[in-house]
Amino acid sequence: MIEINGLSKKFKKNVVLDNIDLKIEKGDVVAIIGPSGAGKSTFLRCINLLEEADTGTIKIDDLQVDVNKKTKKDLINLRQSTAMVFQQFNLFRRKTALENVMEGLVVVKNIPKNKAEEIALVQLQKVGLAERVHYYPKQLSGGQQQRVAIARALAMSPKILLFDEPTSALDPELVGEVLDTIKATALEGNTMIIVSHEMNFVKKVANRVLFLYNGKIIEDGTPQEVFGNPKNERTKEFISKLAYSIAPEYQI
Amino acid sequence: MPNIFDFKLVFTQIPKLLSYLPVTLEITVLSMFFGLLLGLILAIVKIKRLPFFTQVVSIFVSFTRGTPILVQLYLTYYGIPIFLRYYNYYNETNYNLNSIPSLFFVLVTFSLNEAAYNSESIRAAIQSIEKGQIEAAHSLGMTFFQVLRRIIIPEAFVVALPTLGNALISLLKGTSLAFVCSVVEITAQGKILAGANYRYFEVYVSLAIIYWVMTIIIEQFIKFVEKKVIIPD
Repeated sequence: MIEINGLSKKFKKNVVLDNIDLKIEKGDVVAIIGPSGAGKSTFLRCINLLEEADTGTIKIDDLQVDVNKKTKKDLINLRQSTAMVFQQFNLFRRKTALENVMEGLVVVKNIPKNKAEEIALVQLQKVGLAERVHYYPKQLSGGQQQRVAIARALAMSPKILLFDEPTSALDPELVGEVLDTIKATALEGNTMIIVSHEMNFVKKVANRVLFLYNGKIIEDGTPQEVFGNPKNERTKEFISKLAYSIAPEYQI
Repeated sequence: MPNIFDFKLVFTQIPKLLSYLPVTLEITVLSMFFGLLLGLILAIVKIKRLPFFTQVVSIFVSFTRGTPILVQLYLTYYGIPIFLRYYNYYNETNYNLNSIPSLFFVLVTFSLNEAAYNSESIRAAIQSIEKGQIEAAHSLGMTFFQVLRRIIIPEAFVVALPTLGNALISLLKGTSLAFVCSVVEITAQGKILAGANYRYFEVYVSLAIIYWVMTIIIEQFIKFVEKKVIIPD
């Protein structure tokens, strides 16, 4: 279970996250939507401490971290409990797909190389890249790179997966394969938070949708509730503007 | 024909010069090694903007780049013994000034000089690395040193390779100044030989050939490494 309490962050005078509380149950697939600049990515990055929040506590199972009083050990532990998939994939350029996935296992988890390779191969097979394990990132398409990144995150068997706009940097025709992979990951019962602009995808995969606006969660409910019957004015406006992009159904 | 230029001597004395090549290589390799190591540390200090240390590094780099290596050699050669004498005087110790081998002064000077120049190349290389990879490594739970060793250095090395290759070539030729600290390497040996037979021009031609060949070898080596580290499209 993940519990976030009183998470706030300012960039100079600009309030990005305003005292956010959030509780996520195991197996939940939470989508965060909202206009640009609402703090969606910052929120995600604060959870694994890539970004330093000003105040707040983050609790993942038994590990509780106060962002103001965190030790180096807290930092490493928290990051090991989470795994992130980035918008720009962020694969290690000088390592093959296999080495990318093995890296965390060998260096962080101290798993022997042959065992790590086994795990990595299984994960790469799951994302459909068994044929490409010895390719370097630049020899792979964007969609394939993002799938390697997902395999890299999954291999760490994190307690929560964080997806930061995983398809925003992809060519439209490559979005589908990545969304399929994320969906498969969700169906396996992984707990995850997804920041995404793919509303059709969010509707189908998430069991909870948060609408983030000006650093606050102003809408929180099932996809049906948030998309079908939003309570907040700002959410209504956002959803209505999406109307036409929702219309053509996405094929998964 | 008068024997104004002894063509044969240029080649026949090369073996005599080559017997001191190990000294030249020793200075080059050790100075490059320590220069890289210290250069990396200086670069990290600058990138991390450690208070106080960053200023010290800046002054050090500025001074080292702003003074001739010849002057620096004299500064260490005379400076370290003077420092030691003060140290002996105030601490009532009795370190023997003459026990310091001449080579030590040369290695210290060249290592520091290399470190100053390399630190800038390394800093630029590290800063050119795409930040996303470093974030990804951190998000996996890697510590700073793990990220440095596993991600930053391998990537920065490739970027810095051509500049570091240049530095190595300059260093090789720079070692010819070691004679001012009374270290005999190939150039000093050449001067000694010429002092005996007054064939100065011939010896400098021999030396030029040796340095040139050495440089070509280094160039080829760098090219080879560059080819090795490139990832095909």
